Amino acid sequence: MKKMFMHSPLEQFEMKMLLMMNDMLALSMTNYVVYLGMVSFMMYNMMTLLNKTNLEWNRWGLAMLAMYDTMLNMVKSQMGNKGGYYFPLMFTLFTFMLMANLVSMMPYSFAMSAQLVPVVSLSLSLWLGVTMLGLAKHKLVYFSLFVPNGTPLPLVPVLVLMETLSNSSRAMSLGLRLSANVLSGHLLMLMLGSLMFNLMNSSMFGMFFGMMPMLGVVAMVMLEFAMSMMQAYVFCMLFSGYMKDSMYLH
Amino acid sequence: MINRIALRAVAPTKMAVRPSSIGLRYMSTPVEPKEKANTIVDAMPGNNLLSKTGYLAAAAAASAYGISNGLIVLHDETILVACFTAFGALAAKFGAPLYTSWADDEIKKVRDLLNGSRAKHVNAVKERIENVNQLKDVVETTKQLFAVSKETAELEAKIFELKQQSALAAEAKSTLDSWVRFEQQQRQLEQEQLIKSVLSKVNKEIENPKFQEKVLNESVTEIEKLFAKA
Repeated sequence: MKKMFMHSPLEQFEMKMLLMMNDMLALSMTNYVVYLGMVSFMMYNMMTLLNKTNLEWNRWGLAMLAMYDTMLNMVKSQMGNKGGYYFPLMFTLFTFMLMANLVSMMPYSFAMSAQLVPVVSLSLSLWLGVTMLGLAKHKLVYFSLFVPNGTPLPLVPVLVLMETLSNSSRAMSLGLRLSANVLSGHLLMLMLGSLMFNLMNSSMFGMFFGMMPMLGVVAMVMLEFAMSMMQAYVFCMLFSGYMKDSMYLH
Repeated sequence: MINRIALRAVAPTKMAVRPSSIGLRYMSTPVEPKEKANTIVDAMPGNNLLSKTGYLAAAAAASAYGISNGLIVLHDETILVACFTAFGALAAKFGAPLYTSWADDEIKKVRDLLNGSRAKHVNAVKERIENVNQLKDVVETTKQLFAVSKETAELEAKIFELKQQSALAAEAKSTLDSWVRFEQQQRQLEQEQLIKSVLSKVNKEIENPKFQEKVLNESVTEIEKLFAKA
């Protein structure tokens, strides 16, 4: 019975086994998979709402439409009209990140985006896809991306090395940025919560004064909500930038 | 300078008008404590005081049971629950009305636009129906026009035929006239030749002494007869 409850605040970052399959973690049902299902269900509902909004306008649908419009503008400003081909991917990614981040903001829930392995795997596969897209589109000319325009010849080897490192580090940095932001935000909130709890637990005096930082923590919660949305947007914006590089080179 | 002096003169009056600050909430609307208490009691679940007390007691008992049996665990995350609830309340109190008014405005804007377009479309369709209505006699009119054009074609054909006939008649007349003129010329020529031949014969006859004698004799005879009568 007691296993159902969370006894440590850091438990929200732990991946728990809910249904073991063949003694393999990869194929087992974990809380991550449950949240993945929840997020997918929410995304499906959101898309349904968005489709209904075409003719029947409502307040929720308007928010969805505003998100859709924002993403479309971002994709078009980054990649031009040809970016429209990749808009479904971009919007799905954004919706997924947003839903995952917002769900993790619920107290006692599980922070999906703070899990480094899945998020970095996602960013790595996206980077691979973008690289393959560039190679398929430009063949060997794609490697001109590693030589900036107007580079003096003696500097070319150094710059190629640096650009290669910079380009390949995108695979990690994209996911790491999101994961680190979400993790740090959640940890900060938890630390503040812990501070307040300890203060309030100390004495009656502490109980009274421990309430005072409450406003600060509420402000932090607001900031974290804003961060959840911004990080999803930033992830997609950076990925659009990488895709633009692959599509148009310099 | 004069302004400053004037302001100084007015300042004591202003100070007298301003209400004296009596605490943190001196700007708030004063509420009767009894009314405030009643509103709090009314906000609780239940129809009368007994049921309200029952609900409160049950909630307190449930909380105590939950905490003592470890069903409700109070720890750091509980603070975050409170903060999250406060954030939710703030969002519902301040954010939601703003969003609702914005969304309603947007929806109204789009709805007005759609309704406007719909009305325009309905008007356009009505106009088209009216235009088509005006053309409802088009079959009859076309039939009449066809009959008229047929009649015109027939008349034109007749005119052409008559023109041809008149042209033929004119041609025949001019030919006949030329024939007449030719025959007249021929006749004139023949008459002239006849006159010439008669004159030449007469002249020849006149030159004949026998004829001259004969004419003379006849003339003398005539004259004698005349004289005899006289």
